[in-house]
Amino acid sequence: MIIMNNISKRYPNGSVALTNINVHISKGEFVFVVGPSGAGKSTFIKMLFREVLPSSGELFVNGRNVVDMERSEVPYLRRSLGIVFQDYRLLPQKTVHDNVAFAMEVIEAPYREIQKRVNHVLDLVGLRHKARVYPGELSGGEQQRIAIARAIVNNPVLLIADEPTGNLDPDTSWDIMKIFSRVNRNGTTIIMATHDKDIVDSMNKRVIAVENGTIVRDEVKGVYGYEA
Amino acid sequence: MRLRTLEYFVRETFSSIRHNGLMGFASMSTVALSLLILGLFLIMVLNLNHMASTLESQVQITVYLEDSVSNAGITRLANEFADMEGVKKVTYVDKKQAMERFKQRLGEQQGLLTALENTNPLPNSFEIQVDKPERIKMLAPEISELPGVENARFGQEVVEQLFTLTKIVRIGGVVLILFLALAAIFIIANTIRLTVFARRREVSIMKYVGATDWFIRWPFLLEGMVLGLAGAFIAVLLLAEAYSALLSQAQATLAFLPLIPRQPFLTQVSAVLLASGTAIGALGSAISLRKFLDV
Repeated sequence: MIIMNNISKRYPNGSVALTNINVHISKGEFVFVVGPSGAGKSTFIKMLFREVLPSSGELFVNGRNVVDMERSEVPYLRRSLGIVFQDYRLLPQKTVHDNVAFAMEVIEAPYREIQKRVNHVLDLVGLRHKARVYPGELSGGEQQRIAIARAIVNNPVLLIADEPTGNLDPDTSWDIMKIFSRVNRNGTTIIMATHDKDIVDSMNKRVIAVENGTIVRDEVKGVYGYEA
Repeated sequence: MRLRTLEYFVRETFSSIRHNGLMGFASMSTVALSLLILGLFLIMVLNLNHMASTLESQVQITVYLEDSVSNAGITRLANEFADMEGVKKVTYVDKKQAMERFKQRLGEQQGLLTALENTNPLPNSFEIQVDKPERIKMLAPEISELPGVENARFGQEVVEQLFTLTKIVRIGGVVLILFLALAAIFIIANTIRLTVFARRREVSIMKYVGATDWFIRWPFLLEGMVLGLAGAFIAVLLLAEAYSALLSQAQATLAFLPLIPRQPFLTQVSAVLLASGTAIGALGSAISLRKFLDV
């Protein structure tokens, strides 16, 4: 699913974010990316959907060569991915339903298909009854569930989450993790950058620890490994 | 493109115009104003052109003959003129006709002519009309050389001044129109930049979920085009009213002024303005989108 060979990233301002990263992630895996702030987690995550381009090395996501990709191919890479952010990034002037449908409208999905899928994913995150509500009327946890619904509505092969529980209290975070587990059980690969020690320690999944731009630890059933 | 996508674009376009009502109104008015001035100038330039070519086509060579030329000589000259390249029409005006015209032109002051008693000092003459006004300058000296011709005259200075004037107006008009069009493009670009800025969150989300660049661009492009077209429409309405009013005024007081008749002139000008408005809108959007969509 993801192959990183000798990936390095140096930003134009000279700061080095990643050095010689080698990672293989198979289809269906659930992977946590952990590490101190500024260690390169964010760069690691952003490369996967080509928000950031590596300075050197090879990167394949879902069989696509991300480094040599034409600019015009990027949308098609992203269509095979679902992305969840710490700050939800919902559109305040659209209803919950329209926020989720938006992800399908922009890829020109047929109307019937949109209705069917939106209802399905809203059921999956348990918020179908809020379909006509605007995001501003929802709690943070509910907003994040909507964001997840939007991320998975196009049946992505890979779900990328950057600190998805960063703004949420522990109980709500667990709701989010339950949804992720369910999505993962359906075959979607999940990569999640996080600072949440409790979640990483209890989920018992693969953990990749990044420090100073290199991978210092990659364990199949790992723990967070830092003080919370 | 799917019909549903088209519907989505149109929906997005108009909801965006609604949301940014004031800005939309501002840019529409600016386009209307720019196109109004542009249109005024267009109408002015075209009318001046029209006047110039009307006057140009009225310019003719007057050939004054020596009194000694016989009737046979006159016929010979008439044939010779008619054979010259570019000559459209040759009219013979004899002394008597010339005097009649002169009298008419004097009108109430005909009494002056009694001083001449019964002599007629006016020469026999030819009036020669040509196909192109530029040809006059070449033909006139040639004709002066012919035997029996006293001299050949045309309103040389008037014609040359007219040529210079129309040239200046044409060039000046084109330059001014270009500047105004640039200003309108700049204003539209600014408006679209603001709408893109206001919707940058939406744009970034669209990018994350895999919308193509063109899918993102179209609503903004359409918005620019709609604003440009609406502005042009306002300008066209105002111009049509103004020109119709001008025409009826001119007919009442300045009937000799050779203005271009209302139709199909106004339709043509309107088509040009509406097309320019739309193009200006599209261009303005395209310029601001180029910078803003590189995420």
